Amino acid sequence: MLELKDVRKTYDGKTEVTALDGVTLAIRAGEMVAIMGPSGSGKSTLLNLMGGLDVPTSGSVVVDGRDLATESEESRSLFRRSHVSYIFQAYHLMPTLTAAQNVALPLHIAGRSRGDIEERVSRALAEVGLAPRAQHLPDALSGGERQRVAIARALVTDAPILLADEPTGNLDTARGREVLELLRSIHHQRGTTIAIVTHDPQAAGFCERIVRVRDGRVQGDERT
Amino acid sequence: MNFLLCTLSLSYVKRHRLQTLLTLLGVVVGVATFSAIRGAQGALVQGVRDTVDRMAGKAQLQVSADQGVPEQMQESLRELPGIRAQAPVIEQIVLPARGELGSLLLLGVDLLGDREMRDYGFEGEDADLDDPLLFLAQPDSVAVSRELAQRAGLKVGDPLALKLPQGTRNVIVRGLLTPRGFAEAFGGNLVVMDVYAAQALFGRGRRFDRLELRLTDGTGLASGTEAVQAAVGPGYRVETPERRGGQLAHLVDGFMAAFSVSSVFALGIGTFLIFNAFNVSVTRRRRDIGTLRALGATPRQVQALFLVEALVLGALGGVLGLLVGTGLAQSILKTMGSTSELLYGVPGASRADLTPSLAVQSIALGVVASLAGALAPSHTASRVQPTEAFAKGSHQASGAVVRPRRIVAGAALLAASVALSLVAPLPGLPLVFLVLAVASAGVIALAGPAARALLRRAAPPLARLFPVTGRLAADSLLSSPRRTAGTVLAMTLSITFVLGFGGYVVSAKGAMVRWMEDIITSDLYVRASANFVRPDFLFPAGLRQELLRLDGVQAVESFRGTSLPFRGDTIRLVTIEIGPMLDRTREEFIQGDERSMRRGLVEEGKCAVSDNFHRLFGLGVGDVVELATPTGMASFPIAAVFRNFTSERGTVYLDRAVFLERWRDDRVDVFDVNLAKGVDPGAVRGRIRELLGGRMPALVSTRREYIAEVARAIDAFYGLVQMTVLLALVVAVLGIVTSLLISVAERRREIGILKSLGALGAQIGRSVALEGVVLSLVGLALALPLGELMARFMETTVIELFTGWRMPHTWPAALVLTLTVALPVVSALAAWFPARQAARVKVTEAIEYE
Repeated sequence: MLELKDVRKTYDGKTEVTALDGVTLAIRAGEMVAIMGPSGSGKSTLLNLMGGLDVPTSGSVVVDGRDLATESEESRSLFRRSHVSYIFQAYHLMPTLTAAQNVALPLHIAGRSRGDIEERVSRALAEVGLAPRAQHLPDALSGGERQRVAIARALVTDAPILLADEPTGNLDTARGREVLELLRSIHHQRGTTIAIVTHDPQAAGFCERIVRVRDGRVQGDERT
Repeated sequence: MNFLLCTLSLSYVKRHRLQTLLTLLGVVVGVATFSAIRGAQGALVQGVRDTVDRMAGKAQLQVSADQGVPEQMQESLRELPGIRAQAPVIEQIVLPARGELGSLLLLGVDLLGDREMRDYGFEGEDADLDDPLLFLAQPDSVAVSRELAQRAGLKVGDPLALKLPQGTRNVIVRGLLTPRGFAEAFGGNLVVMDVYAAQALFGRGRRFDRLELRLTDGTGLASGTEAVQAAVGPGYRVETPERRGGQLAHLVDGFMAAFSVSSVFALGIGTFLIFNAFNVSVTRRRRDIGTLRALGATPRQVQALFLVEALVLGALGGVLGLLVGTGLAQSILKTMGSTSELLYGVPGASRADLTPSLAVQSIALGVVASLAGALAPSHTASRVQPTEAFAKGSHQASGAVVRPRRIVAGAALLAASVALSLVAPLPGLPLVFLVLAVASAGVIALAGPAARALLRRAAPPLARLFPVTGRLAADSLLSSPRRTAGTVLAMTLSITFVLGFGGYVVSAKGAMVRWMEDIITSDLYVRASANFVRPDFLFPAGLRQELLRLDGVQAVESFRGTSLPFRGDTIRLVTIEIGPMLDRTREEFIQGDERSMRRGLVEEGKCAVSDNFHRLFGLGVGDVVELATPTGMASFPIAAVFRNFTSERGTVYLDRAVFLERWRDDRVDVFDVNLAKGVDPGAVRGRIRELLGGRMPALVSTRREYIAEVARAIDAFYGLVQMTVLLALVVAVLGIVTSLLISVAERRREIGILKSLGALGAQIGRSVALEGVVLSLVGLALALPLGELMARFMETTVIELFTGWRMPHTWPAALVLTLTVALPVVSALAAWFPARQAARVKVTEAIEYE
């Protein structure tokens, strides 16, 4: 389903920085994988490449038979719209939109009908247990609730791949655990392919497979 | 898109109300200037056309000449086949003693014969008009439009006080005109009197201003014109009223052309404000853009979102600007109307109406300016990479790399604009806009690198002068090159325009004042009219001898100025006794010299031409000027070309003797009186007033007074240009304030970090205010040479394109000094207020902000 072959990613600046150096990795459809590593190891870069947020300097990123490395900005955006959803450590919710509006955002971008949007948003918010908080602004929600809004936003498009970058990084242990359980239940119920970038062993423990990254290379790949 | 616009965009506007308001103000000012100037211009042109059309009545042709049409021409036309009727007319704009009524158009007509031309629709119970002979028997009789009578509270038999050349005189209302057709001319401010009474009242001698002709049925307009032109000779214009209206309107259009530059300037700055505001908006919303992109928004969707925002802002600004402009048009119309009356004798309009076409143009202009301003930022927004957008602070630090290619391109564009201005490959306004656009592009490319270079030099002394705030300010300015460059650019462009326009006005007025000092050298000037171009009274030639007989008077010259058609344009013809004039004046010769001018004009019947005539028509010494005179076409070889600011369409000088011979018109505008040594001008002035008292009007001015009066006329001409400079200043300050407000608002996170490190609110406020001062001085330093270039472009290329003149450059010292003092103060205040507000925000909140 998701295959990276000899991927290399460098950033130009005063000095060139190599974030990924010859990474080869395959994730099957329906897997829940943790990508672990210390800060600066290249794990977030790896996640960005998987979702088509960025393109590799060399190598290929093949998702559902499409090599994202060769696709245009426009076509990668359209790909993301239908295939990938994201969850970020800092939630990245629009502060001026209500929880329901935030969840509806990707559907509006995709040009879905009003009826379809309303139905999907209610379902997604109910699934994460936030239906009663639908009309609240992010400021009025706790950190855990904000992350659940972000998860609802990721679920609402029914994308087959969910990428999460440090989803529990801003949460306390109990709230973090709730979020991880929610992700695992989504994985089980929907069969969504999930990749979680984390350096938290507890988070990794929720996954079926752990890929360890260090200095831009895959250092280990184990099943839990 | 609707959802994004109604939620994301609207909430951004709500969160940044002041910034949005100032950006909107940029569009409003631009559109308001455009619609006000265009509205007033349209009303003035339409007013001129309407007045000419309505007054023309059934007349099909008009015979006129600037020096008037002699009475005997009626005799020669009477015999001409194809003429059904003819009517003499005298037309004069007069002021009533009650100034609130506005200027009145006084029309002298032959009431016995004129009903063939116009339907006067006299009404009322007055018996006088039932018997026009009785009306004519009383030379103070006038008929006024019913609308004017109502406004002035006049009824038949009431006196109406008019300011006439002889002083304030009462005329008696003996008839009322029905408000239709003719009576609606000049906005209804119409007074009709007998043409012969008007002749006497306005010193027309045995001349009329024009003869109006009605052709017999079956006589074609073209054949009629041809026959009349052949009968009257080339010295007279034979034209249809529509054509005359068109020519007057064209004159007003030409007068207004230069002011179009100011509306373009205002819109340019408005566009720049939008560019700046959208740039900041993109920076502020990078994280939101990144999120949208991560959720599947395409680059095109992101760009469209910003462009739709610009569209809404532009349309809103366009509508508001239109409303403000419509109000402003009325006051501009007042200024323009009196200027065009004073300078061209063209009656204006009283009201500027909003036309649907102007409304559409103004709103469209607001939208286009707004879209143009937002285009580049929206493109930047569409290229925001989600991965970069989520990295805090990365954007603010970017942009520090000096790109040599950009500097080379900027320098090349600036050089290209200078070359374009020298070569002038396009005519008129298109050239002005092209040069300004290319130069602006050059400045946009160079402002950032130049500002950085200046700031690097300014940083060490700044830190020495103000150890804490100075260092903070210098560090901040140098560490955020993108923000600094944007603000400096706004300042540089705005100040450049102020210096360019202002410098041009200073140079032009300076050159004219110096010229006046050189040529206005007589002791006393005796005039019959306050209007220089279209005098409402002319002296008889014989008065010169009477003046010469007065005690203390040594010499008297007879000055006469008149307008003439020449190669499709209208030039000025000036005649005077050339020998005595050259004895007392100092002329600056472009070709030939004083000797060739004296010999050529006095002894050989040649002419001298002004420098702008020489450039406009490409004629110089050795060439021949062909002029249509009442005695037929005449050729005048050019003996000299000299600097002269009499008319912006060019001036030809002839000796008075030649003029008398060819034009057969000895009337005089101004007597230049030279006194014997040691004689008191005040005493001679008294004697002149005594001589003329009760006989004819007399405005007697000393040299100083006369220079001041001419200077006032020049001021009237430059009144609108000065308004433009003022407008430029307002827009410049607006641009500076907006840029600084945006710049400070953008720094909340940075201010939070400073506070977390122990900086006090007051320290931050002072430091940011100091940044404002430094930025304004850097902007001024960059704008000084650019403003100088622009002023020279205006003084040479632009003014030459429109008038043929070249103005010697004068450095606008007072303007530069004013800007040097005022700009840092305005900038410091504009930076200090938002900085203080930002410094009050909690550190934790500020650090989260990006």
